[in-house]
Amino acid sequence: MAMDSDIQIPANLSSGGSAAYFDGTSSRRRMVTLRLADRLEIDEGEQTLAAWAYSDVRRADSPAGVLRLSCLTAPALARLEVRDTGLAGELVLHCTSIDDHMIGRRGVAAIVGWSIAAAASIVAVVLFGLPLIADRLTPLVPEAFERRLGEAADSQVKTMFDARVCDNPAGQKAFDKLVTAIRESAGLDTSVQSGVLSSPVPNAFALPGGKVYLFNGLLAKAENADEIAGVLAHELGHLKHRDSMRGLIHNGGTSFLIGLLFGDITGSSALIFGSRTLVTSSHSREAETNADSFAIDVMHRLGRPAKPTGELLLRVTGKEGKGLSIVSTHPLSEDRLARMSRQDPPASGPPLLSAEEWKALKSICSANI
Amino acid sequence: MNQMSWPPLVPPPPLSPVPPPMPVAFSGRRGEFFDLVKRGAGLEFVTLGFYRFWLLTDIRRHLWANTLVDGDAAEYTGRGKELLIGFLVALAILLPVYLGYFLVGLEAEHIQAFASIPLVAFFYVFGQFAIYRARRYRLTRTVWRGVRFWMTGSGWAYAARATMWGLLSAVTLGLALPWRTAALERYKMRHTFYGDLQGSFVGRGWEFFKRGWWLWLLTPIALYVFPLAPFIYGAFKAIEWRWWLSGIRFGSVRVESSLTRSALIGLYWKVIGWIVVLGLVFSAYLALSAALVASMSGDSFGEFFKSQEFMKSIPLLVLAGIGYLVFALAMNIVIRVYLLRDLWVRVLGSVNVSGIETAANVSARGGMASALGEGFADGLDVGGF
Repeated sequence: MAMDSDIQIPANLSSGGSAAYFDGTSSRRRMVTLRLADRLEIDEGEQTLAAWAYSDVRRADSPAGVLRLSCLTAPALARLEVRDTGLAGELVLHCTSIDDHMIGRRGVAAIVGWSIAAAASIVAVVLFGLPLIADRLTPLVPEAFERRLGEAADSQVKTMFDARVCDNPAGQKAFDKLVTAIRESAGLDTSVQSGVLSSPVPNAFALPGGKVYLFNGLLAKAENADEIAGVLAHELGHLKHRDSMRGLIHNGGTSFLIGLLFGDITGSSALIFGSRTLVTSSHSREAETNADSFAIDVMHRLGRPAKPTGELLLRVTGKEGKGLSIVSTHPLSEDRLARMSRQDPPASGPPLLSAEEWKALKSICSANI
Repeated sequence: MNQMSWPPLVPPPPLSPVPPPMPVAFSGRRGEFFDLVKRGAGLEFVTLGFYRFWLLTDIRRHLWANTLVDGDAAEYTGRGKELLIGFLVALAILLPVYLGYFLVGLEAEHIQAFASIPLVAFFYVFGQFAIYRARRYRLTRTVWRGVRFWMTGSGWAYAARATMWGLLSAVTLGLALPWRTAALERYKMRHTFYGDLQGSFVGRGWEFFKRGWWLWLLTPIALYVFPLAPFIYGAFKAIEWRWWLSGIRFGSVRVESSLTRSALIGLYWKVIGWIVVLGLVFSAYLALSAALVASMSGDSFGEFFKSQEFMKSIPLLVLAGIGYLVFALAMNIVIRVYLLRDLWVRVLGSVNVSGIETAANVSARGGMASALGEGFADGLDVGGF
């Protein structure tokens, strides 16, 4: 350590110059002289306040025209401010590691690389991992929990569609007969509940925990019992495969992971919604296709054709266009009709409902008692 | 005259006891900031948003380092990596919270349809907590003259106050808002320190109300007459800034602002203008890509748009998604340049600090807070800037 105390003020800039110094323990601004010896010496008058090793000196943020320095071995917030450009240039030359802590091109490339890797892994999990997880997890979810979920959804649906359960006795009797026939053919137990709701929306759906609802609007569009039977069989297929539970896990996971990805980009929720729709609708189309196959099997086992159901669907979507109906996440109705008509044997079993019962079912919502 | 060049033997009579107030300067160039956010937006696009932690840090570093109080620039010592870690930890905590929220909501729904909606209030409270903790992070990364700012107080106590006052504001249709802001600012500033210098807030809700009550009356009209809204909002923000800044104290350091009511209105109009321009460009892009996809699908145009295919076409959705991402990022650039940088400069230009000499020898105290609060704020979408 050189302590040449005989030199008080450096004769020229090449050996030092003046600067402002904050020692990091108080906000006092000290005017100091710098001496560029084998270490950077910070002197106030006669006294040496600190000596910084050049390799430990780092650049800190500063406005243009000021070089602000910190030191790894000094108090974390100790700062040296140099305004003289000549002196600043010389200091930068001496302090070889001055920019080592900055995120340079390489650092940015690392951030970009890791981000892309993270994004790719998230996308892979969404596309391949989540369906697998949903498949494996669904059988582990207790039935009781699923029923609770269904009950919560049940009251929401009824409020949302402002619907009441239609139960005029003759219609209800016909409906029960139809459901029982299909349920037995589908191999489901009596825990399945079903009903007709008074809503003009042409739709039917299955809720988790074994609830199937048919909207009166779909009934109004149907021309015979086979059409409705196929729809009910399709919904029972969803129940049998526990599709709503699987969809819930899949949906929740997808939203969460895609949310991770886009974070705080303004209005990203629209983007999240869009990507999720894209991913989950492809998944739900698959589930729909499976439910269709199930319905075709059930109908054939009953000795009834599946084609009428396809015709009903086409009738509904044809008139509905691209509205907010259940079909939007379903395969194209034309394709579904084609699948249902393929290898459709002529009716071999007895009709599921008599003409009278069918009439009663059609008017299940119209008049009470 | 000759005598004057010698130091006087007797101490000079004290000058005016109060030195003149000191303006706050901003030295950053606009072009530099624009380049910063432009490059950041590009990197955000490439990294699908992950770069936000580093961009946010760079923006703060630029704004802090160019803000000069009494001739000395401030410094922001936070780093992007801290924000990333804070975000990841916050996620790990939020995940079970979300799951619990879902299960409790399920039970509530079981009792009564839509009974789970009030549970959203929980996230409001949590968001207020996050806001407090995020402020703490930013403050402990703010350094001036080698001494950091720091904060005590409890995030939950703040969240409770914010929620009660929020409820009162909702009940009074916003009339209680000035008193809410004053009470919350008092809590925040009382627990804010610069070294060993304690902060305080002396702004009164009543003063805020006196300056801005007429805006409250005009607000219902603005809901119908859209062009009035930027004027009202701009005036409101200017009044709020001025009132807030003028209430800030650190020991005997006083901050005063002379921001005029109309100072910010132009900024909001510029942002609206850019949003319109960008919206038009985005619509044109959508129309163009739809036409492109339609021509490639081979169907006639009318058929393509009539059928459901239009909504389901994967190439179109992907093109629209990319376009939307670019649109959102361009909006971010506009908002950051006008409502962050320009607003910062305008507000700073109105500020005068007096009594700064008492901050000339403040002892450093207080440690750094973790970035977890910022992570929560990000995860809950309540982040400041």
